[in-house]
Amino acid sequence: MSQIFMTYGTMITPIGNSAEENFIAMMEEKSGVQFVENSGFNQENWPLGKILSLPVENRYNELLKRACANLIKAHGSNLFSDEKTLVIVSSTKADINALPKDTFASTRRILEEELHLKNKIVVISNACISGVIAINTAADYLNHTDYTKVVVIGIDALSDFIVYGFQSLFALSSEPSKPFDKNRKGICIGEASGVVILSKEKINDAFHVNYLGGSSSNDANHISGPSRTGEGLFRSVKLSMERASVSSEQIDFISAHGTGTSYNDEMESIAFDRLELVDTPLNSLKGYFGHTLGAAGLIEVIASMKMMENNTLLKSVGFEEKGTTHPINVLKENQEKEVTTILKTASGFGGGNASLVLKKCV
Amino acid sequence: MSDLKQTLKEQIIEQLNLEDLTPSDIQDDAPLFGEGLGLDSIDALEFIVLLEQNYGIRIADPSEGKEIFQSVNSLAAYIEKNK
Amino acid sequence: MKLTGNCKISKNGVFLDGEFQKQLQPVDENWKKEIYSKLAIDYPKFHKMDALAKMAFLSVEILTTVSNIDKFKDSEIALIFANNSSSQNSDLKYIHSYNVKGSPSPSLFVYTLPNILTGELAIRHKWYGENCFFIEEKFDVEFFLEQVKFYFKKGAKTCLCGWVNSFEDIEECLVFNIENKGTNDTILKEQLLTLYNQ
Repeated sequence: MSQIFMTYGTMITPIGNSAEENFIAMMEEKSGVQFVENSGFNQENWPLGKILSLPVENRYNELLKRACANLIKAHGSNLFSDEKTLVIVSSTKADINALPKDTFASTRRILEEELHLKNKIVVISNACISGVIAINTAADYLNHTDYTKVVVIGIDALSDFIVYGFQSLFALSSEPSKPFDKNRKGICIGEASGVVILSKEKINDAFHVNYLGGSSSNDANHISGPSRTGEGLFRSVKLSMERASVSSEQIDFISAHGTGTSYNDEMESIAFDRLELVDTPLNSLKGYFGHTLGAAGLIEVIASMKMMENNTLLKSVGFEEKGTTHPINVLKENQEKEVTTILKTASGFGGGNASLVLKKCV
Repeated sequence: MSDLKQTLKEQIIEQLNLEDLTPSDIQDDAPLFGEGLGLDSIDALEFIVLLEQNYGIRIADPSEGKEIFQSVNSLAAYIEKNK
Repeated sequence: MKLTGNCKISKNGVFLDGEFQKQLQPVDENWKKEIYSKLAIDYPKFHKMDALAKMAFLSVEILTTVSNIDKFKDSEIALIFANNSSSQNSDLKYIHSYNVKGSPSPSLFVYTLPNILTGELAIRHKWYGENCFFIEEKFDVEFFLEQVKFYFKKGAKTCLCGWVNSFEDIEECLVFNIENKGTNDTILKEQLLTLYNQ
């Protein structure tokens, strides 16, 4: 199979409107997580990763339109209206306010209108691992079909639906989340859109990486709690590394899932220990953005690409003291380092786990 | 007490969305969690809502629930004691 | 690619490999519970599941009586599911819990994702392989077969696929197993369309 390249599409979060803007803000330790008044079911003020400039109504549709506008501005329209271009969307709830009508209808409509697509889109809705699976699926299309470019759009917007739901699970943190930390209290929900473009050849002069391989695996254990042995994550990472032909020693950095819940972060430490990745520098980026669900895999991959481009690993915001029973090497400070090969992991409701390996182009 | 238990069973079915079941499917002393009904930690959270909404009893910490929610018997006893 | 088993269920009954299963025909409005009872399975977690997961669970239970999926290793079975309504039915019930009934329900919330059904299948059968849930506009055989081919190229030996919908007054479920051994794709496509339209 020939090489697969990946470059930036766009990245919209509370702290930036492009991959570069976001990276600069992250280098300065800016966090997009702020207390939002009356966001809870009983009017609590939960810390959330809210994009303040989005309108109260129609957030999802507006966010998607902004992503499209950014894409056209950065790449021109021909790339998207090319018949050899496919678009894959990753979202957990899409336009939830459309209920009882089709919540994914506006996605298809907006993308068609804004990007003038020639092919019907592929939509993946697989909880929090949707983004990583979407990138893996993009690679499948490039490896085995005639498509030459695949645009992967990860997107989810804040809603009472989501916030109340995680609140009912006692999963929300009363303070900005602290992934892997001893005093972590749970997740902060966020909203974002992240887009990457995978291709058979580089599409422009911007920084590209090679996608080497990826996979998914189910814990076969519980629909909302992670496996106590990290079995699904262990299997997925092992398989992804096999497909990428890399070993644990060759991984320079891990962009972990790190939601900040007691169970998830513990599970990841167990899995990484089983995978002999205990010394590999890792972070969770959820301290900067919150957990952005269907967008998480995308924005976290983009941020990781920025780290590769700049040979700088970013600290894991919120982390002070290790709070997992297994050793892990969580970044406490930004670190200049030659970053060549990275691993991205994700875990989600439904017992899903997914991972992928990226490498700097030679 | 047996009226309370019957009501509780109806409320459990309603609260946990066990629309398939009827109160006669739930024995008074059958374990609700693990085996028996196979309920789990998510369902335990529903019991907290059930107690608060129907009986005004508030359990702030989900982990306190384990003993209380063992069976319909233990749940009824707890309600009698705390209402 | 070879179709080695399929099961379609709805309130009208069960078709297994295209044959109507008279013994499983439900008469009750609570048809999923009725089929569960007729199958005489002991799996209490069934009662907690939402409509999507119940239908997927039942159809796969029936399917595995003819299609020996467990002859494969637990990592060789890929689950490829799709629908055109996401988790709409569960979404509306969950919204009702906080808008009308007074408190957001955690046990309803966890089912407001369409891929939970693949999680339930994985738990029941101890399948650790790859899985993915897609939102399509309609049942598209070509799309399923495209994904199946990808997973075969990546090492899966069999793909258990499903189209499961629960929204408005529609409740439908078709699951089909495709193994990685040679046959005619055109025939396979026709078979699947016939089954869907049955």
